[in-house]
Amino acid sequence: MNKKKWFAVVLTGLFALTLLAGCGNSGKETLNLYSWVDNFDEDMIKKFEEENNVKVNYTNFANNEELLAKLKAGGADYDLIQPSDYMVASMIKQDLLEPLDLNNIPNFQYVTDRFKNPEYDPDNKYSIIYTSGVTGIAYNKKYVTEEPKHWEDLWNAKYKGKVLLLDDNREVIGMSLKKAGKSNSSTNDEEISAAVDDLRNLVPNVLAFDTDSIKQKMIAEEGWIAMMWSGDAAFTQAENPDIEFVVPEEGSTIWSDNYAIPKGAKNKALAEKFINFMLDPQNSAKNYESIGYSNPVTEAKQYQSEEYNNNHMINLTDDELGRTEWLLDVGDKIQMYDRFWSELKSGR
Amino acid sequence: MNKRWFGILSPVVLWLCFFMMVPMIAVVGVSFLSRDTVGNLVWTFNISNYTRFFDPLYLGIYWDTIWLSVLTTLLCLLLSYPLAYYITTAGPRTQKWMLIGVTVPFWINFLIRTYAWVLILRTQGLVNMGLEQLGMISEPMQLLYTKGAVLLGMVYTFIPYMVLPIYVSLEQMDKRQLEAASDLGASRWSAFWRVTLPQTKSGIMTGGVLVFVTTTGMFVITDILGGAKSQMLSNIIQNQFLSARDWPFGAALSVIFMISSLIIIWLFNRALRSKYESAKEARA
Repeated sequence: MNKKKWFAVVLTGLFALTLLAGCGNSGKETLNLYSWVDNFDEDMIKKFEEENNVKVNYTNFANNEELLAKLKAGGADYDLIQPSDYMVASMIKQDLLEPLDLNNIPNFQYVTDRFKNPEYDPDNKYSIIYTSGVTGIAYNKKYVTEEPKHWEDLWNAKYKGKVLLLDDNREVIGMSLKKAGKSNSSTNDEEISAAVDDLRNLVPNVLAFDTDSIKQKMIAEEGWIAMMWSGDAAFTQAENPDIEFVVPEEGSTIWSDNYAIPKGAKNKALAEKFINFMLDPQNSAKNYESIGYSNPVTEAKQYQSEEYNNNHMINLTDDELGRTEWLLDVGDKIQMYDRFWSELKSGR
Repeated sequence: MNKRWFGILSPVVLWLCFFMMVPMIAVVGVSFLSRDTVGNLVWTFNISNYTRFFDPLYLGIYWDTIWLSVLTTLLCLLLSYPLAYYITTAGPRTQKWMLIGVTVPFWINFLIRTYAWVLILRTQGLVNMGLEQLGMISEPMQLLYTKGAVLLGMVYTFIPYMVLPIYVSLEQMDKRQLEAASDLGASRWSAFWRVTLPQTKSGIMTGGVLVFVTTTGMFVITDILGGAKSQMLSNIIQNQFLSARDWPFGAALSVIFMISSLIIIWLFNRALRSKYESAKEARA
């Protein structure tokens, strides 16, 4: 055989080997966890693997729509997923989730009452909260000297060209609806168009629409005042101590990421074991402190550092949480939101 | 292609045809369906996704997209032609290095290069800090998140796509014709206009199409450098597949976009060809 042929043979062999390696299995039980990037403390995952002699296969999605598309396409064998609130509702409607057996998750008792029995999944039939956050106003004290208390403050002409908004039609139109004292999930045509008309006056103040790197824009002081998620605000403040965060008085939007098990999961029992493990007060303290999001397990307070417990952006008060509202599915009206959004952003 | 080659290549050709055609057919197929309230596809044939496009909102966004793409293409051409010309006049060794210089940006991820522009243009960025140090401005200028920043990012990103084809066509040109033109008394300008330019039009065409088509499909630059304040048609299409969960409308927009791009390329092609062909005929 000449050199080229040898090369081809070797290459084919290597290719076959990699294929086989893909099928390789250590014989351990595997939990296929599909979630957001960096959503768990790696040490806690390792601890779970060791205690139960299993393997956790943790893969990531970038947004809820990607998760939904994967589930609907079938074929993907996930045991445990982490959809957001509205996506849980949508998945229940489309019969994509397996009911949870709460008897296998005794640590569910530790979840604070506020986050039990949520509107998007009554009685926690299909989901348990993982973490949550609230949309509010982040501002830089150097430039915004008076503490903003209302959404109206974003409209202030002083902040022209310095306002940052989330790049998300439901969040922004929902904010304008809350400002007018309406539900952030309104399906009333007049309410929605009035809210959008109000936003048209805000657009000249806007520096940029951004969800993914809005934090950098505040840290670098490009923007002075922003509509921001509480968790992102905590991160931003750690980098730039001039930044503060408030939940406006007329209320705002709350979101959550949840545990859920997709229909037909191969390892439902192991998934429930994982949820239970993560809800254990001591485990949860370590996990949430590492990822920097809020912990729904109140019993974990005693195991958490003072610094974490005192962060008001991670531990929102009952009063602040009390004036928030979930974004609910608006059905066909989403097309109206989408159209108005295109109008707003293209200045038409 | 003789039979022997066909035998060897046919699997590749079939593979390509299959994987090119199947997604295309799927897109066209979906564009005639409709959606239910949760965003699932409903198998009822209708053309409403196409009629929805003829709404002043979407037509306006379409016009913005085309206009920005035309502007980018023209600016790229204006900057690239002299550069490519300059490269061909250099010695072979220098030429090699200059060409590497043009392609170097391709070695770095496009997103990273775009974020580098954020660092340069932002209020605490290189330009503003530099000008402030020099005492030329007292307050930082708002350079980022403007239409100008978007145009700058587009031209920067797509210039190599224009330089390389023009360079190739300049390289292949028969230089003796320039000597002939000068022997016949043509000025250097008229020699360029009547000899060089017509002979490099294939390069201009290729570069123009590459830049135009990629610009129309671009939405990352408008998001990062434009602060997502303007909408390209691609942004609208992306929204249909994600937040609006309206795949049929997104698919219809894609089909319209594809067809209109083909028409524009065809028109562009024809305009260039007819101009020079009529010029040739006039000379003959």
